[in-house]
Amino acid sequence: MTATTLGEPAIVSTTPRRRRIGLPGAESRGAAILVLPFVLLLIVAGLIPTAYALIQSLQTVQGFGLDNFVRIISDFRFVDTFVHIFITLLVWLPIMMVGVVGLSLLVYSSPGRFGSTMRFIYYIPGALAGVANFMLWLFILNPGQSPVDFLWNGFGYTTLNQVAQPGQLPVILAAMLFFQGAGTWLVIVNGGLNGIPDEVLEAAVVDGAGPVAMAWMIMLPIIRPWLGYMLLLNVAYGFQLFIEPQVMSQVTHGQISPQWSPNQLSYTYAYQILDTGAAAAMSVILLLISLGLGLWIVLRSGLFADER
Amino acid sequence: MSSASSSAQSRHAASSRWTPSRAGRVGTLSAAAFIFAVPIVTFILMGFRQENAIGQVPGGIFSLAGLSLENAKRNLDVVMSFNHGIFATWMQNSLIVGIGGTVLAVVTALPAGYALAKLRFKGRRLLRFITLLTMVMPNTVLVIPLFLEVSAIGGIGKLWPVIVIMGFYPFGVYLSYIHFLTTLPRELVEAARLDGLSEVMVFLRIALPISKQAVALVIFFSFVANWTNYFLPLVLLPLSEQGTVTLGLQQLIGSSPLFDPTTSAGLSTKLYMPQLALATTIMIVPVLAVFIGAQRFLMRGAVVGAVKG
Repeated sequence: MTATTLGEPAIVSTTPRRRRIGLPGAESRGAAILVLPFVLLLIVAGLIPTAYALIQSLQTVQGFGLDNFVRIISDFRFVDTFVHIFITLLVWLPIMMVGVVGLSLLVYSSPGRFGSTMRFIYYIPGALAGVANFMLWLFILNPGQSPVDFLWNGFGYTTLNQVAQPGQLPVILAAMLFFQGAGTWLVIVNGGLNGIPDEVLEAAVVDGAGPVAMAWMIMLPIIRPWLGYMLLLNVAYGFQLFIEPQVMSQVTHGQISPQWSPNQLSYTYAYQILDTGAAAAMSVILLLISLGLGLWIVLRSGLFADER
Repeated sequence: MSSASSSAQSRHAASSRWTPSRAGRVGTLSAAAFIFAVPIVTFILMGFRQENAIGQVPGGIFSLAGLSLENAKRNLDVVMSFNHGIFATWMQNSLIVGIGGTVLAVVTALPAGYALAKLRFKGRRLLRFITLLTMVMPNTVLVIPLFLEVSAIGGIGKLWPVIVIMGFYPFGVYLSYIHFLTTLPRELVEAARLDGLSEVMVFLRIALPISKQAVALVIFFSFVANWTNYFLPLVLLPLSEQGTVTLGLQQLIGSSPLFDPTTSAGLSTKLYMPQLALATTIMIVPVLAVFIGAQRFLMRGAVVGAVKG
């Protein structure tokens, strides 16, 4: 290997020749060393658990089969968990897409201090992802101490259980997830808008496009790949919902089912029923959904084309 | 950054007078900011209140009356005395796995991102593809399988498996990859090779010194992801004193008389909304600190470049 230091004149003349003709492997070997630590983690935290889940899910007392899948799918809560996710996505995604795109366009046309201050404020809730965000929402949802108590009074709600009724959970989750995620996506979509060449926008102005036509006919088509990315990633995230319904079930004393989402059902099988085969089968089902969405994003969205 | 000039122009044109559309825009953005900010501000202020006075303060929740540092101090004492000071242990565990996982992510992601961006090697396209795929898949999808793996090696209840798993951060590799692709000229790498540096030394001496932006972004995203991670510690750290602060906060919520009068009846320390709010506020301080530190790197649009590819 070329373990020489900078400024050794003898090497300077020989190295390029060795690189191009003599040692095409040097670059490969260097690359192997550089990617090795990451690849090791990829194997330990990505590939092995995936393989393990596959094997576990297919393993039965008589050998290999689909018994685990049959057991989890025929659980009386299985279909419900996915129905819950579908309803939540139906409420959440339109709010998310319209909200983020609308705010992005407005922030984009507000350059300077005002726009960046707004963007910063929208981003802050992102710091409270997960349990912290949930705690904040408990504060909002719990009548009596809530800053929107007038709202709960208006509905006639006086307890948390009245606010967090099962039928209202999708709306509550949609609000929570929008609050927590909008700022991050706004930064991403905003960056997409910033990437639009000035000439394109100037040409549109020359052609007499007003602000609405500009947004609808010029900007939206250009940032469409990002919107697709956001949509698919949020769908994938939606199927993974765990902590919000989990803690909600706890604070409502089971008014929200402890097996509300697919991941919660998987968790129940792994920890309460102690049926790891069925838990692994559910993981594989969720993995396949994520994998399908992931492949779609990587191969079809046009965002990740190889540069070389 | 190319937007800055066009932005400046349009701003120049618009700043002279208040048109209805400008008022509408500023009004809408301000209203949204109000909706985003009010819950957080009132929530943080809750930590400075007394639980038995919340309903009695004139003006209610928006009132500044009833706020005091003494209240915050008292609330803090309650939080810290919960279960013999376990809150400090949770914070410590979170810091260990959060920082450990972040360091591991930075150390593995930067060289891998560099190699993917600047070197030709067998399997490059495959590695890039797998990295992208794992990046866009939610990290909760493998939690149960990871539990099976870690329990097979007897690592349940230990912090190091959590650190190793958190250190696997494909998004960090992708951020680094985009960074080196867009900021490191090929000629610089070639020149360093002409000088006789090995590939690893080219990375260490040439690429690494100009990767501040990438390091900041990887630190930020990975630390926030680790700090807020709930599902992974939940299954890998089952005992209370092993847990992170995300699990701890859930435990505080669960033992509050607000939500569970029966369980909390037996507890010597009772947490109400002010104490819960204060604990949550303490919990988000590290994330806010990292956020403010990385703010200028975040807003530079590199995140977007990362997604754009």
